[in-house]
Amino acid sequence: MMHVGTRILTVEDDERIRTAVRLALEDEGWEVEETASGEEALTAFTRAPADVVLIDIMLPGVDGFEVCRSIRRSSAVPIIMVTARADTHDVVAGLEAGADDYLTKPFAPKELSARIRALLRRYRSSETMPATMCFNQLEVSPEEGVVRLDGIEVHLTRTEFQLLVELGSHAGKVLSREDLLERVWGYDYFGDGRLVDVHVRRLRTKIEPDPGNPRFVVTVRGMGYKLQP
Amino acid sequence: MTADTERESALRPVGLRARILLAFAVGGLGLSVVLAGATMVLARGQLLETREESAAAVAVNNAVRLNNQLTPDTTFEDLPSIVDSLTSLEGSQLLVRLKTDWLLAPEFGHGDIPGVLTARIEGGQPGQIRAIVAGRPQLVIGLPLPSFDAAYYEVVDLAGVADTLGTIRIILLSAGAATTLLGAVLGWWASLRTLRPLRRVSAAAQAIAGGRLDTRLERQADPDLDALADSFNGMAEALEQRIRRDARFASEVSHELRSPLMTLTTTVGVLEARREQFSERSRTALDLLSHDLARFCRLVDDLLEISRFDAGAASLELTEINVANFVHASLHVAHLDDVSVADGLGGRPVVIDGDKRRLARVMANLLGNATHHGGGLTGVSMERDDTVVRISVEDHGPGVPAAEREQIFDRFSRGSSGGRRGGGSGAGLGLSLVWEDVRLHDGRVWVEEHADGGSGARFVIELPLPEDVLELEAT
Repeated sequence: MMHVGTRILTVEDDERIRTAVRLALEDEGWEVEETASGEEALTAFTRAPADVVLIDIMLPGVDGFEVCRSIRRSSAVPIIMVTARADTHDVVAGLEAGADDYLTKPFAPKELSARIRALLRRYRSSETMPATMCFNQLEVSPEEGVVRLDGIEVHLTRTEFQLLVELGSHAGKVLSREDLLERVWGYDYFGDGRLVDVHVRRLRTKIEPDPGNPRFVVTVRGMGYKLQP
Repeated sequence: MTADTERESALRPVGLRARILLAFAVGGLGLSVVLAGATMVLARGQLLETREESAAAVAVNNAVRLNNQLTPDTTFEDLPSIVDSLTSLEGSQLLVRLKTDWLLAPEFGHGDIPGVLTARIEGGQPGQIRAIVAGRPQLVIGLPLPSFDAAYYEVVDLAGVADTLGTIRIILLSAGAATTLLGAVLGWWASLRTLRPLRRVSAAAQAIAGGRLDTRLERQADPDLDALADSFNGMAEALEQRIRRDARFASEVSHELRSPLMTLTTTVGVLEARREQFSERSRTALDLLSHDLARFCRLVDDLLEISRFDAGAASLELTEINVANFVHASLHVAHLDDVSVADGLGGRPVVIDGDKRRLARVMANLLGNATHHGGGLTGVSMERDDTVVRISVEDHGPGVPAAEREQIFDRFSRGSSGGRRGGGSGAGLGLSLVWEDVRLHDGRVWVEEHADGGSGARFVIELPLPEDVLELEAT
């Protein structure tokens, strides 16, 4: 199998769902570690970091947002949030806590594996990246997988990094939310634009000298985003 | 039927405002009539009495003086000089009879004196009478002078009093009319004041009916009206709680269903990955299970969405949407890429502010409807005018009868044509969600006939263009 050796950590308090999800993920050839609470998940992740983490937001005790933030403090691992509804602030809160993508219950196993594959592809395709790009004091090096601002390395998640590389390799050109959803997340036109918006916001807090008044990643009203060379 | 309506309109009660106005006007009229009447009677009495008293006093005085100056030898020729020395009240004239001769006033003959009075005087009694003499109201006073076989008459003109009374009457009539008018104006003002709180109640009730369940009446620091405001607010509160409870119940049920649905969906997915290992019968059973599970999931989703609309908790996640891209992408995800799209957008990109998830569901519903229940999608068109953009979806089915074009957007509505929309795919929540979603965007949705009159239905959604786009184009 293609993904042999890929470990997925799942956090879900409902035992039946947990088991069903494990069966579905194992069918894809992935190794699954199940946990039933936020505390358990954090212990498991510290003991043996996974390649992808799947977190249900509604957990008793330490909730999904907190698990997400804790993992993010030490790792850039791809995280998928599971929310009850798409039209709540849970989605934005989850993305702001550091999630890379989200799914709404009930989702089909095919959707889940597609999301995981999209994240893994991104996670492992650094070798096909374009050459190093420089925009004034901002330096993006896809080969090394690092971003430097005034020579100092900035820690980005893989999704933020991918977003910056896509914008950088089309520097000066506007990319629509739909373009970015497709290039970075592998979504079609109807992907959730909030994924792009929240990630751009997170990216700005890390690379912009003044995130409220961005110098590099600017919004083009009615069209999308562009990186200003 | 006609007779009934006629009777109804004939018996239609007068409105509260008209009644208050009328009551004030009639009250004003009644009061002024009573006051004017009393004033007239009193004034008339007073004026006549005064005139008569002074006339009588003068007459008695004159008669006494005449009596003193007359002697048994006085002849008729002496009379004028004696009479001239008498005082006469303004507007009064004297007549004197001496034996058989009359000294007459210029305007009267002795025949003008009413017979009743003459008879009384000749009988030796003094008297007075009001009468019309020479065409005018007059007071005639008579005093007998029996010592000389003479009589003294005085005719006092009362027309002056009548004139004064006439003037007073005109003044009183005008005052009465003015009072009535003032009463009506007061009534109008009072009815406005009285009905103002009722209008507030009416506006609040309309707001609640229109979906703003948190509308309440303000207390006005008026003990009479506050009772009304309190009971109205109590009713609104109870209503709001009840509606929210119903909506919450639907939402909680849908949520409770999510966990088992999640397990079912995932498990069916696991089974489907192994469908090749199953027998023919098991595969058929799995297909049924999987198909209806998908339907069930959609229904729960729709129910949850509807309950959020009912609770007033539905909100828009606005993003910029390029209409042409959106329509093409909608067709693409529905595997309808080869359907023709008539582009009437005028060659320029049209961008609206919309909730992509909701609008995608709207398009998916309309396209699915046309494909599954409308005999196949025949075309999609986009057009815009000054303030709105319209997207139309046409199908090839039997169309929607005019009578059903509104109720087709009701929940669980099934058309008369044997569940044309809904029967097969279960609950007819799709179009009611379309309606709610479009309305949330301040847009409209309706169904009509094909523009070319052909068979089939044409669903049109109309969405407003954002104001800044309009401003930009205007400059």
